[in-house]
Amino acid sequence: MNPNLTLYIALGFYGAGTLVALLSLFAREKRMQHTGLGLMVVGFLSHTVWIGTICTITGHPPITNLPETASFIAWLVFLAELVLFIVYRVHAASFFVYPLVLILLSVTAVVHEPFAHSPKLLSRLFTAHLLLTTTGVAALLIGLAFGLLAHLQDRALKSKTRGRLWDLIPSLNVCKDVSYRALAIGFSVYTLGLVTGVLWSYKTTAGIVALRTKEVGAIVAWVLFAVVLQSYISGTYRTRRTMVVGAAAFVAIIVAMLGIHHV
Amino acid sequence: MPLMLVGLNHRTAPVEVRERLSMDERKMDEILQSLLACGPLHGVAMLSTCNRVEAILSAPNEDVIEQIVDWMAQRAGAARVELEKHLYILRYGDVVKHLFRVCSGLDSMIVGEPQIGGQVRKAFQLAQDNGTLDALLTQLYEQTMRVAKRVRTDTGIGEHAVSVPYAAVELAKKIFGQLEGLQVLLLGAGEIGELTAEHLHGQNVKQVFVANRSYERAVELAARFEGLAVQFGSIEEHLATCDIVIASTGAPHFVVEPQQVRRALATRKNRNLFLIDLSVPRNINPDIAGIDGAYLYNVDDLQHVADANRELRQKKAQQAEEIITREVDSFRKRLVAQDAVPTILELQGRLEEIRATELEKCLRKMGPMTPEQRTAVELFSSQMINKILHYPILQLKDASDEPQERESLRKTIRKIFGLRS
Repeated sequence: MNPNLTLYIALGFYGAGTLVALLSLFAREKRMQHTGLGLMVVGFLSHTVWIGTICTITGHPPITNLPETASFIAWLVFLAELVLFIVYRVHAASFFVYPLVLILLSVTAVVHEPFAHSPKLLSRLFTAHLLLTTTGVAALLIGLAFGLLAHLQDRALKSKTRGRLWDLIPSLNVCKDVSYRALAIGFSVYTLGLVTGVLWSYKTTAGIVALRTKEVGAIVAWVLFAVVLQSYISGTYRTRRTMVVGAAAFVAIIVAMLGIHHV
Repeated sequence: MPLMLVGLNHRTAPVEVRERLSMDERKMDEILQSLLACGPLHGVAMLSTCNRVEAILSAPNEDVIEQIVDWMAQRAGAARVELEKHLYILRYGDVVKHLFRVCSGLDSMIVGEPQIGGQVRKAFQLAQDNGTLDALLTQLYEQTMRVAKRVRTDTGIGEHAVSVPYAAVELAKKIFGQLEGLQVLLLGAGEIGELTAEHLHGQNVKQVFVANRSYERAVELAARFEGLAVQFGSIEEHLATCDIVIASTGAPHFVVEPQQVRRALATRKNRNLFLIDLSVPRNINPDIAGIDGAYLYNVDDLQHVADANRELRQKKAQQAEEIITREVDSFRKRLVAQDAVPTILELQGRLEEIRATELEKCLRKMGPMTPEQRTAVELFSSQMINKILHYPILQLKDASDEPQERESLRKTIRKIFGLRS
């Protein structure tokens, strides 16, 4: 059996789930949102099987190249979304999270590379670097999605007009709280990921850290996320500046990801 | 088995008529027994609310309706002819549709109001406790509750507030989520402000502070919410600690100014402040709306929210009607199919009997056969019988919900196939 079959099944279900969820925005039917979520969950299960297959074939987590990393981040982002849905019953985040998951997994399917065992993953430090960075990025993306929801909710309450998302977005406090927690956790984990990466780099290249697209993107994203987090701590998160910095951080993360080659 | 409903509601009868027919829940056992005594009835349930009085009946035939109308006229102390002007009598599928609509809040004065669901449940439960629910009414009760739940979940028809005080509570929830643990500051003693504070108090807020020019009045009002009366001069101090501020004073000027809110928010870190200005002239400076973290709504804003919600409910009511139409059709089909089961079983038994006899004769005439040949002949006979039965069974299952029509169809089929009548 083709080991990538479950990847394509996952992609199909993610595509259908995203489409149904986006259509529900116009139809305003709760049943459609549940159907969208159901399709995404089936895709997630298939995605999990695919990740398990790679782990079995290569003997290490699927984070050795861009497609695998994109897939792993998509998997973590959806897992976080699922947990948040169970806790808060939030459908609105799905309008940002589902397309993001779909795009990330599409990258995996399009830029597909053969499974290969990477000797570098024999290093625990390097494995820790990859796992911490990808987990941190997933949490930061969730933090940004909920930050955007908080911003939309704030605008709707201020302008006294309800948009299509009004009923789907949870209270302003919940959005803000989830966003802050996800950013705080994501930032800490991501920082640890960068530190372990620098340590590993020093160890293997005798002290020289190359500044390529991946490294520059990762550092810029770290600085920008620090600014976003600081705005939450200082209470100035509502400003347009925070949203612009958050968007720039998102772009920086994507640039850093695109810079990932084989490890 | 006829299903019927006799009743009146806020659209067909004025309150003077409704109040004469309204029934005390505590005396429901007597009422139900007295209804059962009216005539041949398999089951009965009585729904009595401030907006409607309805008897839901399951009976062997429709004749009992006359006695039920007499019973109602007697109970209302009115002439039958007078009461009949306000009554509606529904049968079969119309009863199912009506109950689904009533329980979903579509027939209520305020569309989508949630209380009616509980009232319908209570009415059927009382009948169940008194042993007056037969199998048909039990099925109807269970399906009604299921459909009402589906309508409310799928359309969210009752989710939005349609009055100013509730709109304020809804907005507070949109900002803070749970209201438990929040502090409310009520400025003044205006009626609508009091009502809004009362609704918020009902949401288990932590504390209600009341500030009024007359401290005695503040003490009196605070007692209603188990709250605390504070001096009118200490407003700013409380702006820093309270999360929701309701202004409803008679003052002809602003009593809350932007600089006070800015100073209060500076000490609140990320905690938002919701200000509700219910006074005319306004008591909260509108410039406060521009401050980050402060959300200001005046009485017009809240009225717009309530009006928009009312329109939204009307739109959702259309979705709800579509769900109900589908559910009524499916429930009706299920009831008809259930009713046809004995005839179908008898029909299948009769034809199986014929098949077995004729097959035996045929096999005897044909002489020795291989097991495969015998199986083929048996299969042929079974398939032929199934084909013959297909359309009569389909007709029985898909018959009209009118019992007379169903009975007539059953009689015809029994006659054609020679079943016992």
